[in-house]
Amino acid sequence: MSESDSKQAARPFFRRKKTCPFSGPGAQVIDYKDVRTLSRYVSERGKMIPSRITAVSQKKQRELARAIKRARFLALMPYVNTEIDGGRSKP
Amino acid sequence: MPYYETVFIARQDLTDGQVKELTETLSKIITDQGGKVTKTENWGLRTLAYRINKSRKGHYVLLETDTPSAAVIEMERQMRLSEDVMRSLTIRLDELSNGPSVMMKKSKHDDDKQEKEAA
Repeated sequence: MSESDSKQAARPFFRRKKTCPFSGPGAQVIDYKDVRTLSRYVSERGKMIPSRITAVSQKKQRELARAIKRARFLALMPYVNTEIDGGRSKP
Repeated sequence: MPYYETVFIARQDLTDGQVKELTETLSKIITDQGGKVTKTENWGLRTLAYRINKSRKGHYVLLETDTPSAAVIEMERQMRLSEDVMRSLTIRLDELSNGPSVMMKKSKHDDDKQEKEAA
């Protein structure tokens, strides 16, 4: 039951953070107008980052997804970031 | 009465005065039907994240209203007909927000930062 699978490449993602950044007292509100916060949960390409990496709770991840989609509709965030570097990396 | 928040994007070619007129026309639709416009914000001419109708920039305006739904439907209809409004989004809110929206606060933030860096 070892986590370190020798077949898999080095895990590019860190160990899971404990708490959801949007839950708990005094947490940030998810707002589709707040592009700066939203862009932290979006990859370089513009794709949404799954919650198993960002440790956002399920409910907040759904809200976050809704906010990102609204921001994309209003052209506050792009749907796709055109690739700047030569390499074609997935996220 | 329910609270609504509308953000619309006006065409790049319009002047600030025309954008204001447009906002007032739309606000009038709301107030005529007995609603209140609690917040109006002009985020100015912003670069769009992608091209809409071949234009790269647009005037963003935020309207927060406390109004019956019929007024909102009418306003949305007018926005759809208007040639000047490229895109709009109306959302229903549970409660009115306090103070200026995140966009306005951020611009002040950046301005302060720039001032500090310049000094």
